Amino acid sequence: MSGVNWNYDTAIDGELSFVDRLRECPREPDPFVYASRFVSALAIRAALKIFHRYDIVGREHLPRDVSFVLVANHSSHLDALALLSALPLRSLHRAYPLAARDYFGASDLRLALTTIVANLMLFDRNATTGLQELKRCKQILDESGNVLVMFPEGTRSIDGRVGVFRRGIGLLLAGTRYPVLPCFLDGTLRAWPKGSLAPRPGPIRLVIGDARTYEGVEHTDGNVLQICDDLRRAIVALAPEPRTQRVRPVSKEAY
Amino acid sequence: MSPSAALTSEVFRYFAFLTTGLLVVGGAIIAVVRFGFARDVSRAWDAYRGWLVMIPVIAASLFAGRAVAICFFAIISIIAFTEYARATGLHHDLTMTFTSLGGIVAIGAVAIASDPDTGVQGRFGLFMALPVLVSSALVFAAILRNKPKGQLKAIALTLFGFLCIGWMFGHVALLANARNAYGYLFYLIFAVELNDVAAFTCGKLFGRRPLCTNVSPKKTREGALGAVLISALFPFAVRFALPDFSTLECVLAGLIVGVGGQLGDLSISVIKRDIGVKDMGRLIRGHGGVLDRIDSLLYTAPLFFHFARYTHGM
Repeated sequence: MSGVNWNYDTAIDGELSFVDRLRECPREPDPFVYASRFVSALAIRAALKIFHRYDIVGREHLPRDVSFVLVANHSSHLDALALLSALPLRSLHRAYPLAARDYFGASDLRLALTTIVANLMLFDRNATTGLQELKRCKQILDESGNVLVMFPEGTRSIDGRVGVFRRGIGLLLAGTRYPVLPCFLDGTLRAWPKGSLAPRPGPIRLVIGDARTYEGVEHTDGNVLQICDDLRRAIVALAPEPRTQRVRPVSKEAY
Repeated sequence: MSPSAALTSEVFRYFAFLTTGLLVVGGAIIAVVRFGFARDVSRAWDAYRGWLVMIPVIAASLFAGRAVAICFFAIISIIAFTEYARATGLHHDLTMTFTSLGGIVAIGAVAIASDPDTGVQGRFGLFMALPVLVSSALVFAAILRNKPKGQLKAIALTLFGFLCIGWMFGHVALLANARNAYGYLFYLIFAVELNDVAAFTCGKLFGRRPLCTNVSPKKTREGALGAVLISALFPFAVRFALPDFSTLECVLAGLIVGVGGQLGDLSISVIKRDIGVKDMGRLIRGHGGVLDRIDSLLYTAPLFFHFARYTHGM
């Protein structure tokens, strides 16, 4: 599409207002949005390095030139930003974190800010319309060079435990050749837990696992659940060994 | 141009009264037609609401001083170019789009900068050379990309957009450096909009023979002629804005607006017809996009700039 043989492809969302354009996905490129996203991506990457000593393990597993899915545990708003920052800048506008429509699409301002910064793809959380949305995901994955960022738990964990995966990820991947990379994020819960207003400094670590596909798997209900379970296991397996809690010599409360 | 100069400037005050008066009168007419005669005025009301936003924004940016006004014109130009890119499909080509947007930023910078040797505001020579520099920058971008296929088309489309929307419209920003900046800017913007309204009204009242059916089916020869006539007379009505213009110069300044304004309008119509869109955008309610609003300024700005510079200097 870029620069080669275009035939006056007028933007198809010309009738929509600025915010409604952001609601759509895939979106037409917009210079203002792209420039803002580029600047904010640089700022976010710097902030993660400075305030969170952001450490990425297994970056070499990221496939080149093909579309793939990143699947991670979810406990914080920082998760999506951290995963996006692990990707190379050239895929900045081609990485779409799936986001709950009922939460992120609730207000125009929230939608505009988050979509400009993180390139969200809004997604219905309920089962009936959610199936329609999977078609759009497949459409995005069929183009080369795109990335979908998914948190199959469907919500943020409040204690850091990895919850049960929703079926959507299994339905998307069963019998397809899209590579999927399980990732484990550590430290985002402490840095920005659910319910707190702003992040606080603290180390964050991302482990990216090996790519896998579910090409040979038949599309049955049982297999779909199997895929969810397999991915969940893979993510939990990437977690570092639970360290024994260091005992503080003197309790703060004593003073 | 500065806030204090604006407060003491008679031209600024006159035009502030004139536009406020017109807004009040226009609003009153719409209200009478709506409530007195119970007619549907939704389209007129939409257009009026657009002006209710546009006039204060333009006035505020001119009031705030030279640099702010130039930045304002640069932002208008950037928005208009983005609309052009989205309409032509150029927006898929980020390298070209951003190179051209960079050129528009450079236009603003060159208009703000002053000549280090003479202290004259606005670097006229560099401004006139910018299209050459931007065209080489576009080719350079194509080289960096290392993908020759389709590049000539991309460069041509981008350069045309930059010339029309960035550089030609950029002459308005350059006018902000003139001694009589308020007079020139207010006259030009006001006369161009009056010309649009006159063409529309004359066409409605006397329009019989079509002007250019395939490009813009609603325009008529009578409308165009009436607008040229009204525009040629308009400078005499605002003689205070062009104080040292002779009678002949006033007529010429009016003709520039009358002819150039309609040419600009038609040339954007050609592009819109070719692509098959009705409006370039929908940022201003009741008016379409920014580019639809500034199209009449595209030719008038450089013509009027050079005319004023030749006859009276900047």
